[in-house]
Amino acid sequence: MSSPFSINGGACVAMVGKDCVAIACDLRLGLQALTVSNNFPKIFQYGDHVFLGLTGLATDVTTVSDLFRYKVNMYRLREERHIAPRTFANLVSSSLYERRFGPWFVSPVVAGLEPKTGKPFICGFDSIGCIDFAKDFIVSGTATDQLFGMCESLWEPNLGPDELFETISQALLNAVDRDALSGWGAHVYIIEKDKVTKRLLKGRQD
Amino acid sequence: MPSRCVRVAAACWSSNNADERPTCWKLKHNTRKLAIVPTNLLHNNNNRRTQLPTQPQPKCMEVLLGITGKDFTLIAASKAAMRGPTILKATDDKTRQLNDHTLLAFSGEPGDTVQFAEYIQANSQLYSMRNETELSPSALAHFVRGELASSLRSRNPYSVNLLLGGVDPITNKPSLYWLDYLASLAKVPYAAHGYAQYYCLSLLDKHHHPNITLDEGMKLLRLCSDELKRRLPIDFKGLVVKAVTKDGIETKPFDEDEKVVKDT
Amino acid sequence: MADRYSFSLTTFSPSGKLVQIEYALNAVNQGVTALGIKATNGIVLATEKKSSTPLADPSSLSKISLITPNIGMVYSGMGPDYRVLVDRARKVSHTNYKRIYNEYPPTRILVQDVARVMQEATQSGGVRPYGVSLLIAGWDEGILPEEEVEQQQQGKEGEQVPIGEKKSKLAGKTGGILKGGPMLYQVDPSGSYFPWKATAIGKSAATAKTFLEKRYTEGLELEDAVHIALLTLKETIEGEMNGETIEIGIVGPPADHLLGVEGVEGAVGPRFRKLTPQEIEDYLTNL
Repeated sequence: MSSPFSINGGACVAMVGKDCVAIACDLRLGLQALTVSNNFPKIFQYGDHVFLGLTGLATDVTTVSDLFRYKVNMYRLREERHIAPRTFANLVSSSLYERRFGPWFVSPVVAGLEPKTGKPFICGFDSIGCIDFAKDFIVSGTATDQLFGMCESLWEPNLGPDELFETISQALLNAVDRDALSGWGAHVYIIEKDKVTKRLLKGRQD
Repeated sequence: MPSRCVRVAAACWSSNNADERPTCWKLKHNTRKLAIVPTNLLHNNNNRRTQLPTQPQPKCMEVLLGITGKDFTLIAASKAAMRGPTILKATDDKTRQLNDHTLLAFSGEPGDTVQFAEYIQANSQLYSMRNETELSPSALAHFVRGELASSLRSRNPYSVNLLLGGVDPITNKPSLYWLDYLASLAKVPYAAHGYAQYYCLSLLDKHHHPNITLDEGMKLLRLCSDELKRRLPIDFKGLVVKAVTKDGIETKPFDEDEKVVKDT
Repeated sequence: MADRYSFSLTTFSPSGKLVQIEYALNAVNQGVTALGIKATNGIVLATEKKSSTPLADPSSLSKISLITPNIGMVYSGMGPDYRVLVDRARKVSHTNYKRIYNEYPPTRILVQDVARVMQEATQSGGVRPYGVSLLIAGWDEGILPEEEVEQQQQGKEGEQVPIGEKKSKLAGKTGGILKGGPMLYQVDPSGSYFPWKATAIGKSAATAKTFLEKRYTEGLELEDAVHIALLTLKETIEGEMNGETIEIGIVGPPADHLLGVEGVEGAVGPRFRKLTPQEIEDYLTNL
């Protein structure tokens, strides 16, 4: 049987822009080659400017996203403030490593803006919580290889919100078109200091 | 060969506007890859179960179908109780009613299925008795997922695939939830489990519409059933069909042994 | 088995009091006075270091402790109980926070954790309440008091609110943690805690507080606060005042010289530190 990371399929990517960040995911839920649903978002919001993308085993995507909803709600009640992306990233890391010998089969991506400074923040993780900080972009999921290629060629520093949307959308759509296990539409979030824009991309449905 | 490389590089530069890019741009980022730990390393050899159940889809020959429409959810399940190549019973009902407006259909490992479904049924009914109110289909689906997910990482997980169909008693909105034995949950307009997925989902892709009436829904089921009878190598002994509407759950007559075209 | 017969020793009296807690407070009120003053740019904690015999080596005794690089505390009451609480505070600041979020807890979170430990001792079987009151001082990252004033002025014109904080949706409550800067709390044996601008605990707490009420002003600087702390202590002290008999801890600007390393980018020194006997002597000569 194939790896738990590629049973259900899915892809996610985050990118840094100028005073903004973007995070996008596909919408497919499959069982090996069979597509079961084309409306299975993999990005979750945990604060005004904190987003988490989860690819991998669908059941763990749900479990882990619910787990962080619980943890972040408890944090907010305890501390009377929203969690900062960097703090959230460390929470993700420690929570995943808690399961070092029986991991959640997910590859998370965090994207957000730091409170106070408004600086973009993105990072990725392996399934046991090793953080990969990046200044440019983070990719995860079954279309990882394709996304790396697209991002390496399309991304450039200091993209504005609109250019960033175009870049991340093109990167994701063209990457998933070359991956049989992901695609079927996409969600794209552009996160700016005073607004977050969520867009639904239709994408190929075949 | 070298000349070809040069040509490619030249093509690259000409296609980009070289003036707009800093000269070091191409070298700035090297290909990086998330360090994903090989899964075989993650499964240690302690007594703790760290590997997910790896049996392929349990009991693929069993048929589960679900269709939502304007004001109803239809659930169909094959009537054959099979053990190996033998059919033990031709009038099996692979569904359980969770409450007045929610129906659960199940397939998978023989003992697990009924055990799990009736556990869910009992808990749903207990909730209704204690609180004098019904859980919505959505709430039940998430409850089922929670139970299945915690079972998945226990010492002996349930190996059950489920369809949960219902009509919300407050909004009267029909809904259908697809769950597999890994506790993946998806809200879908129509769904199937087992080999039936490969034959029926494509049919439903073509013919399903969110606003279909119950009659049209039954016609769609007919279509699926015919295709299954035509293509599946084993006789699944027809379908039990139940319709969930705001008025409750009703078993629909579904013709017993009408012959389907023998030659394709 | 042991649990079955292990009842809480702290039980209600018919009048509705928990006398064990009151006794614990009595123990605190016999303790050596300790005080804390919050300034705009820091906090001072001060206490007298009393030894019963001239043969004791005062340099080995320490009543003010560092909990995290930005938080320190002092006590009045029973020394051994205090050391247990210092250990627990250091431990929970890691298990409940640093090891989860990779950063140290804000002051109120630590205060709550310590207060929980103390409260549990009033309700658990087979234990007695802690015989100490604590003063916990710390510095929180966040919006500093001056910045807050700026923002309010700006807000009137350009609505320049830092992200993640839509018009003080969550702020405003005691120590509401979007607020940064100095934080001073008192924790009692019952597990209740209070934020203060300046306060004192222990034997002469009442006298010291009256004195502080007279001396405290808004917009106090750390240097002035140290000065006032020594003056207050002088009012109540029984023995001689010198670098050996006085203990002072301050929360101030990052003390990079205490890092132990140099040239590490982004490394910030601890804000909490104890003054050396020499530094205390210097303050005393200027008194």
